[in-house]
Amino acid sequence: MNVIEINGLTKHYGKARGIEDVTFSVKEGEIFGFIGPNGAGKSTTIRTLLSLIYPTGGSATILGMDMIKDAPEIKKQVGYLPSEVFYYDNMKVIDLLNYSASFYKKDCSSRIKELAERLDLDLNKKIEDLSFGNKKKVGIVQGLLHSPKLIILDEPTSGLDPLMQQTFFDLLKEENEKGVTILFSSHILSEVQKLCDRVAIIKDGKIVKVEKISTLRENNYKKFHIETKTPADQEMFNFEGIKDLEMEGNSIRFLFKGDLNPIMGRIAELDIGNVWIEEPDLEEIFMHYYEKEDQGREHV
Amino acid sequence: MNIFLQELKAYRKSLTIWIIGVLVMVFSGMSKYAGMEGAGQSLNELMNNMPGVLKAMLGIQSLDVSSPLGFYGVLFTYLVIMLTVHAVMIGSTILSKEERDKTAEFLMTKPVTRPFIITSKLFAAAVQVTILTIVSFVSSLAAVYYFAGEGEFFREILIFSLGLWMLQVLFLTIGSGIAAMKKNPKKAPALSAAILLFTFFISIMADMTENLQPLKYITPFQYVTADMVINGNGIDGIYIFLTCILVSVFIWVTYDRYRKRDLYV
Repeated sequence: MNVIEINGLTKHYGKARGIEDVTFSVKEGEIFGFIGPNGAGKSTTIRTLLSLIYPTGGSATILGMDMIKDAPEIKKQVGYLPSEVFYYDNMKVIDLLNYSASFYKKDCSSRIKELAERLDLDLNKKIEDLSFGNKKKVGIVQGLLHSPKLIILDEPTSGLDPLMQQTFFDLLKEENEKGVTILFSSHILSEVQKLCDRVAIIKDGKIVKVEKISTLRENNYKKFHIETKTPADQEMFNFEGIKDLEMEGNSIRFLFKGDLNPIMGRIAELDIGNVWIEEPDLEEIFMHYYEKEDQGREHV
Repeated sequence: MNIFLQELKAYRKSLTIWIIGVLVMVFSGMSKYAGMEGAGQSLNELMNNMPGVLKAMLGIQSLDVSSPLGFYGVLFTYLVIMLTVHAVMIGSTILSKEERDKTAEFLMTKPVTRPFIITSKLFAAAVQVTILTIVSFVSSLAAVYYFAGEGEFFREILIFSLGLWMLQVLFLTIGSGIAAMKKNPKKAPALSAAILLFTFFISIMADMTENLQPLKYITPFQYVTADMVINGNGIDGIYIFLTCILVSVFIWVTYDRYRKRDLYV
C-alpha cells in the first residue's frame, strides 16, 4: 500500500515556478528520501501535501485520503518537522508540547517525557531562551509525541550536533521498525544515504529520478585506485566502461561501470602494490544525474 | 477549545494593560467633571463659541458638557476610539500573528480545519472585546455616579455601552477580514488601523458639514452618537441593521478568504 501517492502535483506562485508535475509514491513502512538543492521545490511539495498551500494542478493522497478534502483527518496520523522551527516564544517547552498533544485527544505525557529524556531537552525552559538546536529538539518531540503513522521531515537535522543527529536517526529507525513511514527531505545526501530505502531527486521543481538507493549505486561507476610496483602501460586500460583515466607514475585512477570480472582480470595482470575500489557516494551519484539531465536538455 | 484557551492566555498581559487603560481613562476623565461642575452656563457658552471644526474633532458637538451625561458623552467618544483601536488590532493580529511569527506551520499542521481555528480565535477576541466593554460599562457607571453625585444614568450608560460593544465587534470583524485577505501578515494591522483612522476622519467631516450627512452611513463612528443617546433616542435601528450586515459580510470574508488562500510560510 502506498502511504503517499502524488500525481502530477504542480504549484506556481503567480508566474514564478514552484513545482511542476511532481509524481512519486511512498510505500508503507518505507523511509523515502527526497533530495535536491535548496530552492528545488522540496518544501513546496511538502507544504502542498500538508495543505499549507494549495496546488495549481495535480493531486495527492495520504493514507488513502485526499490531501485537501481530508486534511484534518490526515493530520491526525502525520508528524511534521519543518526545516525552520518557530514556536510561541512566551511559552514553556512543556506547555507547548502539552498544547501540541491537546490536538490529538490522547495522553501523550509519558511519550513526551521519554522523548525529552532521549534528546536531553529541558521541559521547563521558555521557548525564547532555547538555542536553535534545542528548538529543533522541541520540534522533534512535537512531531513524534502522538505516535504518527507517517512522519514528514523537511531538512530536519540542521542545528543538531552530530551526536544528537545520531540519536535522532536512531529514533527514526525505531519508529520505522514499528511500521511508521517516513518522508525525509534533505539536501545533505550522506544522511539520506544512511537512512533511506528509496529516493526521489528533484531539480528546478521537477522530479529527475525516483530510484532505490542500492540501484542508484549499482548503476553507477565504481572508483578504482591502483598503485603498481612498476609503471603500467596505458593501453591496458583502453577498455569499455572506463572513464576519467588518470595515470601518474605508479598511480592509476579511473571510474568504471560494467561487468567487474574482465577488469579484475586485467588488474590481476599488473604488478600490484595496493588497490582501492570505492562506491561513489550519493553526492557523486546526485551530480551524475544532474549532469545527465542538463546534457539531455542541451541536446534538445 | 484548546486554541481558544491558548489565545486567552497569550493575550492575558495585553488585556490587563487595556483594562487599566480604560479605568484610567474613565476615572481621570470623569474626575475633570468634578472640577468643572458649577461652571454651568459659562462653560456651555465657551463651548458654543468654539469653531465647529474643533467641536467636531473633540466630539463635543451639541452636548451640554455641564451635565454629567453630556460630559460623559465627550468622554465616550474617546472610549470609542480607544476600544475600537483595540478591537481592530486584535481582530487583525489574532489571525495574522501565526504567519507573522512563523508559528502557522505548527498550528496548521494539527488535525483541525481552518474554519475551526478562525472560530476559536474570533471567540477569544470577542471575549476580550466584551470584557473591555463590561469594564468600561461598570467603571463608567461607578465614575458617573461618584462624580455626579445624584441623578439617574443607568439606562443611558447601558445604551452607550451596548453601542460601544456593537462598534467594537464591527471593527473586530473588519480587522479579521483584512487579516484573512492580506497575504503579507505584517500589512494587516497597519491597514486595519488606517481604515479605522479614515472612517474616524469621515465621521469628523460628517459632523462639520450638513452637506456631508450621507457619509454618516459609511462611518461606524456615526452609528452611536452621544447626543442621540442622551436625548433618549438610543441607537437608530438603521445603524443596528447596517452593523449586522457589515459584521456578517466581514465574518464571511474572514472564513472564505482564510480557508482558500495559501498561508504565508
